[in-house]
Amino acid sequence: MDALIQSLIQGVLLGGLYAAIGIGMSLIFGIVKLTNLAHGDFLVLGSYISLVVTSTLGISPFLSLIIVVPVMFCIGFVVQNTMLNKVLSKGAEPTLMITFGLSIVIQNLLLYFFTADARNLHSSITLKSITISDGIRIPVIYLISCVVGVVVILILGAYFKKTYQGKAIMAAADDLEVAQLMGVNIKNIYGLAMGISIATAAIAGVMVGMIYNFYPTSGSSYLVIAFAVVVIGGMGSTYGTLVAGLLFGLAQVLGAHFFGAQAQLLTGYIVLLVMLIFRPQGLFSK
Amino acid sequence: MKTNLLSGRSTILKFIALIIVIVALFSVPSWGSQYTVMFFMLVCMYIGLGQMWNLLAGYAGLVSLGQQIYIGIGGYALAVLSNYYGVPLFLGLIIGGLVAMLISVGLSYLLLRMKGMYFAVATWITAEALIVIFAGWNYVGSGNGMFIKAVRGMPTSTIYYYSLVVAIITVIIVVFLLRSKLGLGLIAIRDNDSAAETSGVNIFKTKLYCMMISSFLTSVIGGLFYMSQVWVQPYAAFAINWTIAGMFIVVIGGIGTVSGPILGAIIYVFLNQYLSQFGGISMIILGIIAILVILFASKGILGTIQDKFGFEILSARRHSDRTFTGKPIEELEGSNL
Repeated sequence: MDALIQSLIQGVLLGGLYAAIGIGMSLIFGIVKLTNLAHGDFLVLGSYISLVVTSTLGISPFLSLIIVVPVMFCIGFVVQNTMLNKVLSKGAEPTLMITFGLSIVIQNLLLYFFTADARNLHSSITLKSITISDGIRIPVIYLISCVVGVVVILILGAYFKKTYQGKAIMAAADDLEVAQLMGVNIKNIYGLAMGISIATAAIAGVMVGMIYNFYPTSGSSYLVIAFAVVVIGGMGSTYGTLVAGLLFGLAQVLGAHFFGAQAQLLTGYIVLLVMLIFRPQGLFSK
Repeated sequence: MKTNLLSGRSTILKFIALIIVIVALFSVPSWGSQYTVMFFMLVCMYIGLGQMWNLLAGYAGLVSLGQQIYIGIGGYALAVLSNYYGVPLFLGLIIGGLVAMLISVGLSYLLLRMKGMYFAVATWITAEALIVIFAGWNYVGSGNGMFIKAVRGMPTSTIYYYSLVVAIITVIIVVFLLRSKLGLGLIAIRDNDSAAETSGVNIFKTKLYCMMISSFLTSVIGGLFYMSQVWVQPYAAFAINWTIAGMFIVVIGGIGTVSGPILGAIIYVFLNQYLSQFGGISMIILGIIAILVILFASKGILGTIQDKFGFEILSARRHSDRTFTGKPIEELEGSNL
């Protein structure tokens, strides 16, 4: 029984992290209508940049976010404005292929500079846990990452509802031409959206780096999680992403609980495939 | 309507040139070193891989990220059939192809209702799930994979001949397929699917046939590749790298062209072999080249050349009868229309 409760708690906490992994991808799909196959690799790039910052400056991974987030925002902005915007009008395939190309380039650049060794981000907090009863322990880092994920999503939700810039982005997502007629400067809207998307991926990357080991090729497993969250929650839905993260986290952890650790990945894949086949528009769309 | 295999004014010259190239390719093992034969063998395999990805992505509008499903099935079918049942290798290749075809039919019923990126992701996730399944399946050696014992001692030239034949078959199939009724339907679907459907094109069937052909030949290529490698292992056999290779080959050469993947395969294998001494650099350079090509020459090297000079080496286009120039006007007037 304790083991099951432990699994449930872990699943819920993972859910917040999964939502943070997927939110950027969901945004970019909702606003720019493109699928970023390099999302997972940008996330891992965030982990590696944090690794460099923490080891050269000797600061904690949390503090490294001050540097990592702006850097990743700029990368996203530049990638969107110099590459993706140029082929948006040509249909879905060119953007799919460019982001796929980016994924290969990032993976192999990381492989070249950091080798294939396992890395992780050290912090004094990583090993601490809160003991609730004999069999139930909550690792503090899971709790923090879950809170960070929820906060990121709440901030984004407020940003799109309350600020002028956020409303402008949403207007452009709904109808580019009308938004332009209403005086929205649409030139950099997509770049901004991609910057935000990649910045959230980097935040998730730093959290993930404190919980798990990462490798240059880890990106694809995070891309799967991002996809699952986006597909379950419905493309472009901010709060749907949060619920989807919880559901997917629980599905994976329960899969592992009942069918063994090997099944964790497979359960995730199967949930995603079933969703794609039967309800590709997501659980929460009309 | 008359359909020629070769288009252009110098049809006969081109035909002769093609024959010479094919004969030259068949003679490679008689003059080339072991390394040369292996180089040409890889080029042939990647031509086939590229052509089959192009058939799906360039013509049927199905951007698949799961061609490695069939590569893996081909490799494993060969290993299981020859190791456990003593089936001859050639037959193993064919049976592997048929198994892959069956799987593609099943997948088509599930996945073909998806569009664009949903289809892309679903094919990729299916392949990832297969990695997990094969890596935990003791019958196929789980994570360690299997040795194909029957291949031991087989000369590279034999596998090369097989690969060359398969590469030629893929090219011929693509050319003839696109000139057939199926090809017309494909082009109609690619241009406007709802208009095509109202005109009587069965979208599902057309796409299903493409999936079946592509899976069969990709699986045979997978079998051939693992004949030369001897060892099938789940993480490599079902790796996304196969689709990456196919995609680069097609994008660099020219998506939606028949000769594009041939040029792309030569460039890919050359870069891969030449740059392999520098570790991961080859993949970085391939990735950058692919991005630049999409940005600045979105039709690929050959596609751009064809547009500029109106010249096609192998054409999948239908041509109206060249000798027919329309009825003279006087004749029409005389017929009291």
